[in-house]
Amino acid sequence: MATTTRATPEHDGKEANPLLEGLRLRRTPEPCALVIFGASGDLTKRKLFPALYSLALRRLLPESFAILGVARSESTTEEFRSRMEEAVREFGRDRFDEEAWERLAGGINYVATDFADEGGLDAVRDCLTELDESRGTRGNRVYYLATPPNAIGILVQQIGERRGASGWTRLIVEKPFGRDLTSARELNAKISEFFVEDEVFRIDHYLGKETVQNMLALRFANGIFEPVWNRQFINHVQISVAESIGVGSRASFYEETGAIRDIFQNHLLQLVALTAMEPPIDFTADSVRNEKVKVLRSLHTPGPKSVVRGQYGPGFVEGIEVPGYRDEEGVAPDSETETYMAAKLYVDNWRWADTPFYVRTGKRLPRRETTIAIEFNRAPHPPFEEMARGGLRPNVLLVHIQPDEGVSLEIGAKVPGQGMSIQTVHMDFLYGGAFRTALPEAYERLILDAMLGDATLFTRTDEVEEQWALVDAIVATWRRDRPSFPNYAAGTSGPSSADDLVGRDGRAWRRP
Amino acid sequence: MSALAHIDDWTGGDTTVAEIDRRLGDLRRSVEQEGVPDLRTSVLTHLAWVPPEYEQAATDTLAGLAERHPSRAILLVPEPEAETDGLDAEISVRCFSLPGLEAHVCSEVIELRLRGKRAVAPASIVSPLLIADLPVFIRWRGRPDFGSGPFEQLVELVDRLVVDSGEWADLPAAYAQLASLFDRVAASDIAWSRSLEWRRQLAGLWPGIASARRLTVAGPRADALLLTGWLRSRLERELELELEERPELERLAVDGAAVETPAGSRRSASDLLSAELEQFTRDPVYEQAVLACADVQPISA
Repeated sequence: MATTTRATPEHDGKEANPLLEGLRLRRTPEPCALVIFGASGDLTKRKLFPALYSLALRRLLPESFAILGVARSESTTEEFRSRMEEAVREFGRDRFDEEAWERLAGGINYVATDFADEGGLDAVRDCLTELDESRGTRGNRVYYLATPPNAIGILVQQIGERRGASGWTRLIVEKPFGRDLTSARELNAKISEFFVEDEVFRIDHYLGKETVQNMLALRFANGIFEPVWNRQFINHVQISVAESIGVGSRASFYEETGAIRDIFQNHLLQLVALTAMEPPIDFTADSVRNEKVKVLRSLHTPGPKSVVRGQYGPGFVEGIEVPGYRDEEGVAPDSETETYMAAKLYVDNWRWADTPFYVRTGKRLPRRETTIAIEFNRAPHPPFEEMARGGLRPNVLLVHIQPDEGVSLEIGAKVPGQGMSIQTVHMDFLYGGAFRTALPEAYERLILDAMLGDATLFTRTDEVEEQWALVDAIVATWRRDRPSFPNYAAGTSGPSSADDLVGRDGRAWRRP
Repeated sequence: MSALAHIDDWTGGDTTVAEIDRRLGDLRRSVEQEGVPDLRTSVLTHLAWVPPEYEQAATDTLAGLAERHPSRAILLVPEPEAETDGLDAEISVRCFSLPGLEAHVCSEVIELRLRGKRAVAPASIVSPLLIADLPVFIRWRGRPDFGSGPFEQLVELVDRLVVDSGEWADLPAAYAQLASLFDRVAASDIAWSRSLEWRRQLAGLWPGIASARRLTVAGPRADALLLTGWLRSRLERELELELEERPELERLAVDGAAVETPAGSRRSASDLLSAELEQFTRDPVYEQAVLACADVQPISA
């Protein structure tokens, strides 16, 4: 055993490697450098580095890999590494493993620059060139734009103008992608000057959640659901994204976005699309996104009576007194920003005609919960006495996105004992119970997918634009009148007008 | 990580399958602790054929598995030489608390001691205890007595047979007997799983490895034979094996050139078995490796 032979993933490309068959290969990306713009921000600290560490711990990152943090704050690479280590220890989902961290930390670098300045990215380019040499990253780049929306345009231009001749480039863009259809189109146009669609990865982190992806497994891997997944059998759908927290430290951002841009435009509409889409012909990025965009195009613009907005006032959440939105730090005392919205949507196609999709999202609701509830039609003629079927409710298939990730089905069952009395019971599938492994964080999956060039779980230009078109139509109606805010107390389930929205149809919201 | 919340158990000497089934039902109904509901969420039935000399190892492996694979585990300890015939049982419901879950999640473990003639027809004891419609795996400890009644009955019953050919003394001859089962049951081998990271390293040597003539292994005989069979079958060429027997896979070389040691290549017995419990189909690459190593004659390094 004289010399050491180093394993490399490449082969000559002329003949397929027969040794790879059946090896259950890890999805390991090619060598690359990940450049994080906005490296001093909360997202980097709370989500990106913990996710990168978890990937490193599981050896899912390429052997030749580097991370370059870029932000305005003056800092050294050593200081940046130290802060990120603290972040991983505090926010990571895994035990802290020194060896795994050292492996990751060895490739971490930091550049302080104002990327809005002309030439601000020259230092970044120079550092990346040096990393190609020292870390073997081969000119492959993933740029993660974790910056405020107003910085994205200039960054895209600066990165685009400095694209190298070798290697591939991918661009991850955080939401919100624009603030309306016009700005989204401008941003898409700017991006398309320098990048093709396959190189652009617009993040909606909800799509990286295991339970959201499970919606596709639930629908398309089980023969029992799809035959009844239509207007004939489904009475209506309720999708809720409820938060118990307030605006916290995001006031300046939230004042500009509100619930409709923060949650409805992306997460809620993506959940509607996944629930209503037709089966894709395969699980490639374009097949899945083609079907989602068809749903978004089919969404009927709701009239003013079909949309409700709200803003929380003071109240109690989990027994603690909390201020109203207008009393939060950084919020205008006469703010008209909505912290709650609900809408009745119709998907105007053959499968879903006349089946309402009630969606709602809000802050300072009683509990944090994201669910998709599919309520089926009642049994047409239960042959039981009126008293016996008092406890019988329609069947509901409930997809728990968070917390208590899983799926439950509500069915009617006979109460043990004499006579015939029927009660609704739950059949539960809990992720934590059936698969006793912690669910990966959405950002782990999404960062890895972007490195691999798999855009299935990212939103495409046309999806984003369809989503904004709907938001613009709703916002246009809101501009016609002044809302009487606040209209719900913190800790309650939203404004009474939201109850009226479903009540007019003889229905009620599920208790969040 | 999950934490063991509570164990409830029952022990019965000279008992019956019906009694075991009834006691199991009682345990499931009675285990609710401190108002926290318990969930039984099995995804498979895990049988283990455990001759007494493997009992400790099997128990240790199972302890590492319980929180990962919600299952009904049935350990069969054959004691055909016992003076009296009978069935002794120890059953337990083990409930874990998991982060983010209010309910405890429970697994069931049934340990059956098959004394005397009760070891002759184990399938008839196990069949009523299987969870309906879920896949059944059997981990056969030690070298199976291929063709024997108990082995044949249990192979007919299960979806997957998991062995560790590293526990067999008569290699490579025993591989021919194992291969005769491939059309009847999906087979897994812990020795094969153990070498996964090394196989990845070897695959990384393509295309240079295509003309390899000799594989040198410092490691267990079973692992070395399977690696050789794998290279022979995948590369479709003769390849000789130079073997230095060691308890674990330590070094590999191809035509004298050392292969870089893979990182994180050592996994616990529980990890290895856990990985096999997630496979549901035949593994044609493994089967071809077994067939191709049956006539390998190792030369000493």
